Amino acid sequence: MTTTDLLAITPLIILSAASVVLLLVTAFYRNHKVIAVLALMGIALAFASLPMVSSEVSLPFTVTQLIILDGYALLYMGLLFAVSFVVILIAHGYLEKRQGNHEEFYILVLLATLGCAVLVASSHFASLFLGLEILSVSLYVLIAYLYTDERSIEAGLKYLVLAAVSSAFLLFGMALVYAELGTMEFTQMASHANAGNHSMLLLAGMGLMVVGIGFKLAVVPFHLWTPDVYEGAPAPVTAFVATASKGAVVALLMRYFATADSYAHSSLFQVFTVIAIASMFAGNLMALLQNNVKRILAYSSIAHLGYVLVAFIAFRADEMMAVTAVTFYLVAYSVTTLGAFGIITVLSPGDREADAIDDYRGLAWHRPWLAGIFTAVLLSLAGIPLTAGFVGKFYVVAAGVGSALWLLLVLLVVNSTIGLYYYLRIVVAMYRTPEDKAGEAATGLTAAESPTTPASLPLIGGVVLAGLTLLIVWLGVYPATLMRVIKVAVDTLV
Amino acid sequence: MAAVSMEHGLILAGVLFALGLIGVLVRRNIIFMLMSIEVMLNASGLAFVVAGSNWGTADGQVMFIFILTMAAAEVAVGLALVLQLYRRFKTLDVDAASKMRG
Repeated sequence: MTTTDLLAITPLIILSAASVVLLLVTAFYRNHKVIAVLALMGIALAFASLPMVSSEVSLPFTVTQLIILDGYALLYMGLLFAVSFVVILIAHGYLEKRQGNHEEFYILVLLATLGCAVLVASSHFASLFLGLEILSVSLYVLIAYLYTDERSIEAGLKYLVLAAVSSAFLLFGMALVYAELGTMEFTQMASHANAGNHSMLLLAGMGLMVVGIGFKLAVVPFHLWTPDVYEGAPAPVTAFVATASKGAVVALLMRYFATADSYAHSSLFQVFTVIAIASMFAGNLMALLQNNVKRILAYSSIAHLGYVLVAFIAFRADEMMAVTAVTFYLVAYSVTTLGAFGIITVLSPGDREADAIDDYRGLAWHRPWLAGIFTAVLLSLAGIPLTAGFVGKFYVVAAGVGSALWLLLVLLVVNSTIGLYYYLRIVVAMYRTPEDKAGEAATGLTAAESPTTPASLPLIGGVVLAGLTLLIVWLGVYPATLMRVIKVAVDTLV
Repeated sequence: MAAVSMEHGLILAGVLFALGLIGVLVRRNIIFMLMSIEVMLNASGLAFVVAGSNWGTADGQVMFIFILTMAAAEVAVGLALVLQLYRRFKTLDVDAASKMRG
């Protein structure tokens, strides 16, 4: 390894060092606030090192065979670091209200972020596997973090068993691909795959890998864990699962297909088409039946990944268009989803999560600002104009039109209409008068326990939510700035 | 000693993988599910070793060591969760842990 190699992976080194420092500090001096601030500083440092890397190292730069640093990787790392920064900010107030040790939470978030960052920069099966497992093992613990809550334990166990099985599928698929091609590096795989004809072994390996990746993305038919894990996990962790872990896997998928030339296999794209259609319909239709806001958001995330896949399928015709559309969609979706789970986080009282629709009844009368923010977030998820979600969907449709995916586009529009219904259901509940709460006695919530009654709202959480809302509107009105950045960054990939 | 061909090795790995998968699907006791997952992971490791020996590179064995490490980390977290499961539900049956439905 040369000095330049080390310089190139500075963001990864900073994150690893920050987690070790946090571990040591926690061992000698337990203080929630100090650890949280240290974690924030670690992530901010890693973020600040990104421009340094891009100016000091001539991109794209490969470190051994395992890691490739290019504009694309740096862009996604920036997104991931920003996401975990926000997650830590909203988690502080959330954990403060709860019993138990809070310090390990931040170490695990840092490690999960490290796993994501390795994923988006990996160019080899070994680094892909390592990144994915650093992410998964941290997430098992994070999901079950509030272990006194039965639902949290249940969610953690379900995620552990299913994620481990999907890892096994992914590994077996990798082994088969390796057995056929004799290499695990993406760029070398391209030349090997093009030289020979595609055997059954290679196809079987690809199929098994799709199972493993599909689980991480929570697309139909590998989505069964999603609602339970979203509901059982602490709200800040759910936000992380929904944004960072999925975003990193999508980024990896695009890099794999761009460099390993796997999109030559048209059969794989037929599989993706079926998965996209099934995800859109299953996600949106199941969301209609839910009464729990976290479960609604879980099914809506399944549908959103279906939309992302539509743009991804356009990859074969116009790579640039597809990659920029997917990236913009992921940024918009991350900002919006962080906002949604941020609202749940700040409203949750110390003993449970504010996740029933009834918790939001009359919110606009107690907390008009919070209700306004949640409305903006939900409208963005639904894809109403002037929000980030609309622009994201616009680029997805534009990418689809460029590749003439008419069936998928029609189904996307149909599904967006279905989605509008359940998002508006929450909005309507918020703007009902509080007197409407006939069911309050039945649910056993007294006025004092109800999260919508005025109580102290964490200041940091409020500021973060306001910032996210401004970002949603800004991206919805002036998407051109972000689009320019994305176009420059992904240029090296395609 | 005659070398084992890659096909035979992969078939063995595939059979082991399938047995592990059946174990996860059929068993309801969480300990046995974790053990079945170990079988699946080690089957993947075997496939890597077989493929590596076929190509004459060390990559397969390196991956196997990674898999061993990761499986150990996973079981450590898994057993901690099993303890908590037993403390809350007084059973190791995963069907008992189904508070969330919808």
